[in-house]
Order: sequence, then structure tokens, then C-alpha cells
Amino acid sequence: MAREGFHSQLGAVLGALVDMTGTAGEAIERATMALLDADLDAADEVATLNTRLDDARRVVEEQTYELLARQQPVAADLRALVSAIRIGIDIDRMGSLANHIAKVARRRHPAHAVPADLVPRFREMGIVARRVAESAGAVLAEPDAANAARLDVDDDTMDTLHRRLFRVVLGDWEHGVEAAIDVVLLGRYYERFADHAVAIAETVVYLVTGELPDERADHLG
Amino acid sequence: MANAPINPTDVGTPPVEQPVNKVTIGDVSDRREPPAEIDAVIEVEDVSVYYGAYEAVRGVNLQIGYNEITALIGPSGCGKSTVLRCFNRMNDLVVGARVKGRITYHGNDLYRADIDPIEVRRRIGMVFQKPNPFPKSIYDNIAYGPRVNGLKTKNMDDLVEQALTRAALWDEVKDKLKESALALSGGQQQRLCIARTIAVQPEVILMDEPCSALDPIATARIEDLMHELARDFTIIIVTHNMQQAARVSDRTAFFTAEVDDKGERHGRLVEFDRTSQIFTNPNDKRTEDYITGRFG
Repeated sequence: MAREGFHSQLGAVLGALVDMTGTAGEAIERATMALLDADLDAADEVATLNTRLDDARRVVEEQTYELLARQQPVAADLRALVSAIRIGIDIDRMGSLANHIAKVARRRHPAHAVPADLVPRFREMGIVARRVAESAGAVLAEPDAANAARLDVDDDTMDTLHRRLFRVVLGDWEHGVEAAIDVVLLGRYYERFADHAVAIAETVVYLVTGELPDERADHLG
Repeated sequence: MANAPINPTDVGTPPVEQPVNKVTIGDVSDRREPPAEIDAVIEVEDVSVYYGAYEAVRGVNLQIGYNEITALIGPSGCGKSTVLRCFNRMNDLVVGARVKGRITYHGNDLYRADIDPIEVRRRIGMVFQKPNPFPKSIYDNIAYGPRVNGLKTKNMDDLVEQALTRAALWDEVKDKLKESALALSGGQQQRLCIARTIAVQPEVILMDEPCSALDPIATARIEDLMHELARDFTIIIVTHNMQQAARVSDRTAFFTAEVDDKGERHGRLVEFDRTSQIFTNPNDKRTEDYITGRFG
């Protein structure tokens, strides 16, 4: 095959993005731990993982720009490189959102940011978030309908959890204003995390089929 | 080294092999990014080239890195081919051609009176725009150079096979070595010319628009071949196809053509940098205008 060098570099870019989704998954897992266990060490780990994601994204982006400049890619190769930029941004946001969650935990430490009766909900959000990060990596590595479908299901689950959270806060809320604000923000962070994973899957659809992703429906809170 | 008695045919010894710098993302990448500091085989200092009174190109300062691919690009009349032909003293064959400034090969002045230009051309080989195989068999095309140069070889067959293999042509011609080279396709002929060049074991290979006469697939094969050859040879390529320079080279020198008030064109070096830099963020606006197609 001609242009082996170029194609292996392209593979390396996509491979790096898959690795980054793994790091984002680790970050959200640690962030949930930091949150639910009021664990400062876990919060610090999230900050480190987030920095690693920022650095990785910069390297990937530079490499992508250089491949665009030097290799005149067309068709699938061009879509792959354009997609790499978009996906890099989405993963970067996932890392930042995990970091926001960890920061809430740090700010409220040694108190728990999440009231005890809401812990199960957030634990589940954490689990779903971990799963969507993994699914995003799987879709990127193996773009097929099964991997994409798993993401859609988890995204719906997350939206439902998020909606229910609002009902709880707007219902008989006895934990005060600060806790209410934090719970709402935290719910938003998890929901956005999942949204970015879905965005990655949509970009992969574009990469494979050449069709631009549909407008994502605005999820109401 | 500078003060040792110099044999007229000794134009310098190659330096110790340098490791190729690799930029890695994750574990997988065979990209080469050239080092910041150039390990120079050829150095060009303040060079201008004249044909009689006419200054064809001026202001050339650059270094050709060991085992790198250096591209010379620019519009017609910018002097890139003129500069290329200085490296193997082909300009000697043009009446009135004159080099001002200094061109050194492994630190030795290439134009010193006692340097043998034939030996220069063995060490610094050339591939031309139009494939020019000899009207001989494929085998004899390769064997000719070594025979004429008196290269000692125990087995010419092995030498021919090795040259053709390194030029990515062996599989296609191994069963018809006695057939005429002129029966090969354009792309095959060009790879034959490359094989012929490397059969005499040069250190540097000059390529003057080597793919201009070839179709895109033949071009892609030669570009892949260049990457492989760069492991063992230093390559300088002149190309009017700047996308080729972008794909293939480690460093790029951009030349422009300036028109003086008499209406004469003179070439000038504008910018010389890593190819990645030239094509993502060149320093000079003239470079940017040329590579983005705004030139003229």
C-alpha cells in the first residue's frame, strides 16, 4: 500500500484519541470517588488526569494540523482528521467536567458535597459516565452499530437520572441552598459528560459515512 | 581534519550515523521529525550563481542534513535547479557558469581546484526529470556505472539485484534482466535510473523533478521509495509540486524569482526551515503566498 507512512500516522492519531477516552473514564471514576467519599487524594488524581488530557489533546491537535498541511488528505482521510479535532475537543471537555466534579468535592471537604440520601443516584451517574467513556473509546476503535447503540441507551439513562435529580431538589428539599446548587451543578456535569461521549459517537458516524451529524436535541433539564 | 594533506579524490568521510529522531503519539508512529540542529553534509554559504554576467540566483544559505530529504521549491526562474546542479558540479558543463560563495561537502570546498568532478558525481548522484535509461538491457544499465568506475565486486549479479531491490524494482524485472530497459514503463524507468544511481554507492542523491513525467501512482511509489532511501542516503529534491515537498521532505528551501528594473529574473532564497514549519506557519509572507497559491 502506498503512503504507508501517512496512514500509520493517521492510525496513531486515532489510537491516541482512544487512549484519551480511557483517561477520561478514569477521571470520571476518580471524580465520583472524590465526591461520594469526600476523598481529597482522589480529587488530586482527577486534576492530574485532566492535565494529562490537555497535554495529549495538544499533541494530537498539532499532529493533526501537520498531517492536514502536509498530506493533502481527501475523502475518508480528510474526514478522519477533521473528526480527530472535534473528538479531541469533546474528550478535553469530558476531562474538564470530571475536574469540575472533583473541585466541588474539594471545596466542600471535609463535608460531603452530596447529601446521604442522594448518594445512590450519584453513584449510578458515576457508573453510567464511566460506561459512556468506555463506549466512546470502543466506537472510535471499532465503529459499529452495536457500540453506538450502547451509548444511546446510556445517554438516555443519564438524562433520566438528571431529570429526576431536579425533581428531588425542587421537591421537599431540606439540605439548604448551597447543597441544592452543588447538586444541580453536579448533575449537569455528569449529564454533559455523557453528552460529549454521544457527540464523539456522532462524529464517528460522520467519519464512517460522510454524513454530518444531525442537530442534537436540546435536552431539557 | 582541516589540516591533513588532502587527496584530490577524497572529498570527505561520512560522519558517524546519527539516530533518527522520532516523535511518538502513543506507541505507534514512524514519523521522522528532523532535529533542530542540522547535521550538515553540504553547506552553502552566501552563494550566488552566474551564467556569464547574468546572476541566476543569489543569497543562498542552507545546510543539507545527513540522511534527510531536503526539498528546493519555488516558481520558474527561481534558481532551484541551478542550485541543485552546483552540488554535483553539473554547472561546470555550462559555458560561463560561475559560483560565488562557498559550497562545502563534509567541510571541504567542493570547488577547490584539485577536486575531481567525476569523483564528486559518483558520491553525489543525480536523477533527472525525464527518465533516461541507457539503450541497454536492464542488467547492463545497472552494471555500467560500477564497471566504468572500476568498482571491485566479486559478484555483479548480486550488486545488480541489490540496487534493483533498493529501488523497489527487483520483483518487477527479475525475470527479464536481459530485456531492454526502454521497454519499461515511465515509472519503472525512473526507478531503474534510481537503481543505476545507487549502484555506484553515492552518499547523496540529487533529484531534479523526478516525478514530473510520471502519473500519480508512479509518483506515490517513488515518494514511498524516497522515504526508504533516506535511511541510507541524503536526498535533495527539486520540485515544482509543493505538495510533494510537503509530503516527502524533512526540510524545505523556498526560492522566489525577482524581476529587476531591466525586466530580468533573478532567483533568491527566501526561507529555509523544517518542512513542518514551512507548511504550517512560514516566517516569510512570500513563502505563505506561494504555498497557499496566492503567488502571482
